[in-house]
Amino acid sequence: MRARRSSEPHATQLLLIVLLMSANSLAFSRSDASGSEAMEQYSYDDAVVRMFVTATIFWGLIGTIAGVLVGVLLAAPWISEGLRSDVSPILSFARLRPLHTNAAIFAFAGNAIFAAVYYSTQRLCKCRMWSDVLSRLHFWGWQAIIVAAAITLPLGITQSKEYAELEWPIDLAIAVVWVLFFGLNFMMTLVNRRERHMYVALWFYIATIVTVTVLHVFNNLVIPVGAWTGSGLWKSYPIYAGVQDAFMQWWYGHNAVAFFLTIPFLGLMYYFLPKAAERPVFSYKLSIIQFWSLVFIYIWAGPHHLHYTALPEWASTFGMLFGIMLWMPSWGGMINGLLTLRGAWHKVTTDPILKFFVVGLTFYGLATFEGPMLSIKSVNALSHYTDWTIAHVHSGALGWNGFMTFGMIYWLLPRLYQTKLWSTKMAEWHFWIGTIGILLYIIPIYIAGITEGLMWRALDESGSLKYPSFLQTIQTVVPFWWTRVIAGSLYVVGISMLAINAVMTWLNRPATYEVPVYSAPRLTREHVDAPIPQSTLKGKPVLELAAKVDEVSQMNWHRRWERFPIWFTIVTTIAVLIASALEIVPMFLIRSNVPTISTVKPYTPLELAGRDVYVSEGCYNCHSQMIRPMVAEKLRYGDFSKAGESIYDHPFQWGSRRIGPDLAREGGRQSSLWHWQHLENPTSRSEGSIMPRYRHLLDERLNFNAITDRVRAASYLGAVYPFDIEKSPEVARLQADKIAAEIISQGESVDYNGQLIKDSTAIALIAYLQRLGTDLYKTEEPAAAPANAETTTATAAARPGSAPEWADRDSGAQ
Amino acid sequence: MASTPTAPQNDVTLGHSYDGIREYDNPLPGWWTWLFIITVVISPIYILYFHVGAEGRSLEDQYLAAMDANTRKKYKKIGDLTPDSKTIYTYSQDPEWIVVGQSIFKVNCVSCHGADGGGLVGPNLCDENYKHIKGVTDIYKVINEGVAGGAMPAWGTRIGNKNDLIMVSAYVASLRGSKPAKPKGPDGSPIPPWSPD
Repeated sequence: MRARRSSEPHATQLLLIVLLMSANSLAFSRSDASGSEAMEQYSYDDAVVRMFVTATIFWGLIGTIAGVLVGVLLAAPWISEGLRSDVSPILSFARLRPLHTNAAIFAFAGNAIFAAVYYSTQRLCKCRMWSDVLSRLHFWGWQAIIVAAAITLPLGITQSKEYAELEWPIDLAIAVVWVLFFGLNFMMTLVNRRERHMYVALWFYIATIVTVTVLHVFNNLVIPVGAWTGSGLWKSYPIYAGVQDAFMQWWYGHNAVAFFLTIPFLGLMYYFLPKAAERPVFSYKLSIIQFWSLVFIYIWAGPHHLHYTALPEWASTFGMLFGIMLWMPSWGGMINGLLTLRGAWHKVTTDPILKFFVVGLTFYGLATFEGPMLSIKSVNALSHYTDWTIAHVHSGALGWNGFMTFGMIYWLLPRLYQTKLWSTKMAEWHFWIGTIGILLYIIPIYIAGITEGLMWRALDESGSLKYPSFLQTIQTVVPFWWTRVIAGSLYVVGISMLAINAVMTWLNRPATYEVPVYSAPRLTREHVDAPIPQSTLKGKPVLELAAKVDEVSQMNWHRRWERFPIWFTIVTTIAVLIASALEIVPMFLIRSNVPTISTVKPYTPLELAGRDVYVSEGCYNCHSQMIRPMVAEKLRYGDFSKAGESIYDHPFQWGSRRIGPDLAREGGRQSSLWHWQHLENPTSRSEGSIMPRYRHLLDERLNFNAITDRVRAASYLGAVYPFDIEKSPEVARLQADKIAAEIISQGESVDYNGQLIKDSTAIALIAYLQRLGTDLYKTEEPAAAPANAETTTATAAARPGSAPEWADRDSGAQ
Repeated sequence: MASTPTAPQNDVTLGHSYDGIREYDNPLPGWWTWLFIITVVISPIYILYFHVGAEGRSLEDQYLAAMDANTRKKYKKIGDLTPDSKTIYTYSQDPEWIVVGQSIFKVNCVSCHGADGGGLVGPNLCDENYKHIKGVTDIYKVINEGVAGGAMPAWGTRIGNKNDLIMVSAYVASLRGSKPAKPKGPDGSPIPPWSPD
């Protein structure tokens, strides 16, 4: 792949370079005017780095404390029960888990990346950031986004796509801050640099900025619901549905891990590790191969998050194979980091910074071995939906992202605050407590995950499920969840020590910071590249081609690319886009990817409202809706889920974790009364359940009038409704009356806490749950004359627990 | 920078220096290169085998085969059953087969009827009182088709396999007379003991 790309660099490259010169001319214009190597004076903006470092530590604390909190809520959901009724719904695992993940990824790791980029880019480019104003807009804009996330997520405002939960107004803000404030500032700094070649760290930063933009935009294409009719800014439906939505989400999700938690951290590593070790980087060639192979291969691997689902099998296979191919490119980074320490290992024993880096890289190596392993279908069959995934991501997040960040911060603190680090001993303690915290976290959670996987699939001699009670399998692992709470707390203690150390170092800062002024010549256009050394095979008795290949593999051609930031950015973008398009285009164009099932109909207005409750409460954090084609899953949950069943699912709700049982075929499995009582108090219906109570849904009044906007949006996205959409509230009322009547006939009283149960939000959720997975078994009814909404839904009222008749009937007419 | 004694002596630094960071011109480690090549080369082979090859290699085919094998393993001794009184009654008396029905019961029925059949939202299955049921075939009918407007859902398509439905019916019949931990009060009316006719 690389050999092919590189074998004809000159023709295409030169052509593009000529085209790019106009854009690139910014870099040279002034020097052309002067025509000489006049020295220029510059200084670095370290104030913004101090800001990002402070934010990193602050959000690191918040994010990990949130992690401990959700860990506690998971193991002991009852602790929020006695609280005020407006607080207890917020204090639930399902609402706060996205807060924890977003805080850890975008607030903690995000600010760490920015600190690294702003510190190292200026030095690697020998120039100040292009615009101090943009730097500050970036800083404050990003913090404002984090605060907006911290407010909206606990309130249940979510898109329900993992790590892309934030609703569209915040997504727009992210795009602006990322592209206009951060991206532009960074690119212009590259353009105005005074260092001829871009160091490898900068390549990784470029790839980060470009790819995160692409991922963020395409995964968040949504239709706002009700934004223009005034019913609310904070709800949207993605333009993709079901299989395609799942595919886009995990294309995004996988590459968010890649291009937010891996690629920029490799950039960080390539700068701060050799600086701290004071050793040259082990291999320049390895860094080139590593960079391009990661950028090109990562993008393909997303579908391995959807093995055995309704995703077409070819996509799953691509996800697996590219996942395996990622193993060596990833390890290239680990090797290049660890081997850079050759000759500096004696320092590791005394320097906590290098200790953090060594352990961080080791966890990177572990996680990037495990990742390819988990992408193998048969391994994934065991690990998917279990705690194994959770252990895997935490070895990456706590070990790799956390420790690389801490190493960087300890290295930066004395330099930024121009004084000694307050306590090296405390940093040493942070290292050991953090390391123990990570191990104490991941080992029990690995055991929990494998236990869950094995118990779920175990069959006895008779071919029946060995552990038919799902609850039993979860109760088995709850003790491990408590160890995690202890381990997570240790990690928080470590970050607290960092915070104390940072504050104390800051207190010892000088009255005014020294701002050294450097000087360097501006880059001139008259640069002559060093001649490409001839292959040593030249003149030897080998094919001309072999000599050529040898020459290319020496990678001197790449040295030239490093002079052209815009060219480099374009090539990176092309690599990312080609890899994406080769998967995305067939996914959307091949009809057989999603075979149509004629009995699958759109959700009714009430079910749609109920679905939004399901999304908003974050039910997908604990319940999957995707039964895999496996014997044990068939015995436990029923027939495996088909692609055609989720064509009206905007967004898809397949989930990635089973803390509760799968709900793909929940419809009709329990009586509506059961659901009502189960939402009120799950333990009353299943003893020992760890699902929190959802009493507020029983108390809350459903806003029927707001349903119209949802139905309109669903209809815009392709759902066909045989009634006037403006009548949606009435249609919903009829179905709510019917379900309420059913619950009452089964034994519940007419009102709940003084409110008629037919007005309750819970009724909508129950309507949705009773619909799940039932369409597949419906029989097509012969075409009937279209009737108006009222009479059709009236007939539906006679049939409890299922969709109104029109949902079946209109199929004949189509 | 002078190389320390532990550093290999043959490293060559390139002329690069970025903010003091220099780079060695070391080659790619051989094992690394070869493992990378292997992971790339196996990909087309995998695709050819699983996607262009013979039938039976797709995940769905593998699943159907496994499901068949499991059903055969489960019921090869008894073949396909018919849901008549004699069959259901016989299996309700056979401890070897009761456990098969029990597993199905535990997956699907316990949330309403309790882990030991003592009743929760759904009625107690251990006492002498029954609704909609006069004999063992009615148990099958109620499970298969559901009753009371969905209060008892229809499990026919859900469980799918007739033998499984018979086994779970037999298990429910066998619960009669057992002593659940927390029995729900009687519901419906007393019926005569099960009989094979």
